[in-house]
Amino acid sequence: MGAADVVREGPGKAFMLCNEAIVRGALEADVKIVSAYPGSPTTEILDTFSDVAPKFDYKMEIAANEKVALETCAGASMAGLRSITSMKSVGLNVASDSFVSLSYTGIKGGMVLVVADDPQAHSSQNEQDGRPFGPNAYIPMIEPSNPTEAKKMVKFAFGLSERYGVPVLMRTTTRVNHQSGIVELERLDRKPFAKVKWDHPPGRFVTVAESARNFKHALLERTTKIEQEFSDSEFNVVKDTGSDLGIITSGAGYNYTVDAIKILGINPSVLKLGTTFPLPKDPIAGFLRKLKTVVIVEELSPYLELHCTAIAKDANPGVKIFGKWTGHFSEALEYNPNIVVDGIAKVLGVKPPVDYNAIMAKAKELKTGLHDRWPTFCPGCPHRATLHAVRQALKGTKHILSTDIGCYSMSFLPPIEYGDSLLSMGACLGVAAGMQYAVEEKVIAMIGDSTFYHAGLPGLVNAIHHGDDFTLIILDNEVTAMTGQQPHPGSDISAGDRPAKRLILENVIRGMGLEDITIVDPYDIKNAIGPMKEAFSRKGPNVIISRRACALYADRNKRKRGERIETNKVERSVCKKPYTCIRTFYCPALSVRDDDRTAEISKELCDRCDVCAKLCPFGSIKRGEGE
Amino acid sequence: MATKEFSVYMSGVGGQGLVLLSNVIGAACASAGIRALTGEQHGLSQRSGSINVHMRIGEEIMSPLIPIGGADALLALEALEALRYVEYLQPGGVVLMNSRIQHPIAETAVHIKDKAIKYMSVEDVKNRLGQVTDKISAIDALGIANKAGNPLTENIVMLGALSTLEAFPVPESALKDSVAANVPKKAVEVNLKAFDLGKEAAFEHLCNLVKCRK
Repeated sequence: MGAADVVREGPGKAFMLCNEAIVRGALEADVKIVSAYPGSPTTEILDTFSDVAPKFDYKMEIAANEKVALETCAGASMAGLRSITSMKSVGLNVASDSFVSLSYTGIKGGMVLVVADDPQAHSSQNEQDGRPFGPNAYIPMIEPSNPTEAKKMVKFAFGLSERYGVPVLMRTTTRVNHQSGIVELERLDRKPFAKVKWDHPPGRFVTVAESARNFKHALLERTTKIEQEFSDSEFNVVKDTGSDLGIITSGAGYNYTVDAIKILGINPSVLKLGTTFPLPKDPIAGFLRKLKTVVIVEELSPYLELHCTAIAKDANPGVKIFGKWTGHFSEALEYNPNIVVDGIAKVLGVKPPVDYNAIMAKAKELKTGLHDRWPTFCPGCPHRATLHAVRQALKGTKHILSTDIGCYSMSFLPPIEYGDSLLSMGACLGVAAGMQYAVEEKVIAMIGDSTFYHAGLPGLVNAIHHGDDFTLIILDNEVTAMTGQQPHPGSDISAGDRPAKRLILENVIRGMGLEDITIVDPYDIKNAIGPMKEAFSRKGPNVIISRRACALYADRNKRKRGERIETNKVERSVCKKPYTCIRTFYCPALSVRDDDRTAEISKELCDRCDVCAKLCPFGSIKRGEGE
Repeated sequence: MATKEFSVYMSGVGGQGLVLLSNVIGAACASAGIRALTGEQHGLSQRSGSINVHMRIGEEIMSPLIPIGGADALLALEALEALRYVEYLQPGGVVLMNSRIQHPIAETAVHIKDKAIKYMSVEDVKNRLGQVTDKISAIDALGIANKAGNPLTENIVMLGALSTLEAFPVPESALKDSVAANVPKKAVEVNLKAFDLGKEAAFEHLCNLVKCRK
């Protein structure tokens, strides 16, 4: 597991997260340039590359956003080096402008983009299906089902990319990225990093008007050739059992299909598609011709279903195709073995061997009164203190809060339940601009430092230029906290802990021409509320910077320095049980004692930010270890 | 070597080291030539939220997710998180849970409004799980971890207890080697002690309910 196996010389076996296996595959393929912005479920690709960076000579940036990351790889691969970037589904929305054009210009050195969709929206703002990006941009797309295949496919993708001069999209989903399994390590045969000579004629990678039209013709020819190659690909696997029932599937859907077949005790033929753009029409047609009934098992949109239906029109018009259009499967949420068992059973008109609905109903009954455990701010999180200060400062002021993507997004969850809109990275600013035209309420926008550098800058430029009347709160915690405390342009390090230039938020904003900037420390809670209140009372645009390092990041640094993490405790004799600490602060280290119902602080969880102590009206919270 | 299939649904609260625990088991499998795979949770839910790992051992299993009613065992690093995933447990399956409870802050927020409301207790959890299985063992993993020398070794205490199950197909020696290889160097000794103390705790109670390796 982890970095140790990623750098280990092969051959050998290792238990690896798929994201680590992807990194290993890229290293075995001698990748030279890495650039990415973190985003679940791809973050561990960036983290692993960053962790092992000191052991290799590839160049790596933790980019300001996905578009810059993709362009960094594009530039290097135009020159002739192998590059890789990874991003979550919505990250490709940000990068898509360059993504589509890059298909036109092409590249020389192999370039791979790993893009991970998040069915179930585990860690995302939507469930978008990234597969249409392949056909929309005419960029070849491959989809692994497990870590072993992902590693193999990454290596294949670099070769494919170079043979056709086009970047390759490796599309995954959460349950593929966050699957660990046993992976075969091969040799790490790496050549020393060396710059290459730019050997292209002028205009080679310029796409506009006439050149774009020429590129378009060329890329269509390229796509046809790639489809021919995919017709024989080892990644499209047919299991022909001679049955007239068949299943067509790919990615995570394949994994559930294999288990579902076993649970149902059936023996259908299976076509597992690993190359999903361009889809290999001939093998799909050949598979369909032998069947009377086919079930399509794929998460999210009916992408395979659409194409298989179209291919069946000529190949086997009589074949019955079951999937989402027939109501046997849903376009919503991720699949699992039970959903696939139930869907196939419904097609076959048989009863599933296990009554999943009955088990779920019984479980629901057993869980009556069990409270949800929503993700929330960690003990010591400066965001919790900032949010408390903001609400105190705005007491009595009617206001709405346009928030953004990051840990602070969780403020809308119980028990805090604060925040009115959230769309996408950096959107809080544009949305606030619209709101301030539309409503009488005071408009507040809230964004983290990493998200601000990612996509907030144009929104603030716009607000300053137009004099939009809202207050922007920037939560400056030094790192991209949500995804695991990676550095960003406001950090003094970058990938592999290498030193980097730290951008100072207030200098950046002053440089944009905005002078009304208030800086507070959320841990100094009493002194934060007053200046915030004054800032909110002024006409916008203005900015409040709430500055305090992410608690997880700060604790990790403390441990590195050998410093103890201190804790607070409740003096039970002093506690008069107003529960101010709990009802205004909601720290997960707080609970109520069963015996005398005084507040209690878990010494295992407390981080001694000391904010609850400052809020307690009776001074009952003191430094020390609770029982 | 054909290993008998074994699926253990593991749950806990973000920050308890659940992913490390599954990595230790997986790496032990890799070294022992046993096929294993997991469905893990990373990202948003790790922020003091409820977390889970589907750990699956077997030559032919492809799904990283355990089917509903398909887990041979439920291993919970926190008691409420055992009940939360009860639907995954096979009827009559083994529940191995930490007796520690971390009350969600949303529960406490309701709790302070009404003196009559009681927190859900370990006994409540056991009674409810008792409707699905009679093989329930609660272990004071935090107390044992402290005895071993570090409260953060709760996960390894639970692994030690799990390792005693006869049906759990990973050799103890491979597990201990994996613990030693995958925890920070200076914490190896305390983690191995936690493993052994977890085993002892299992012998005291769990092994009266289920077949164990001695």
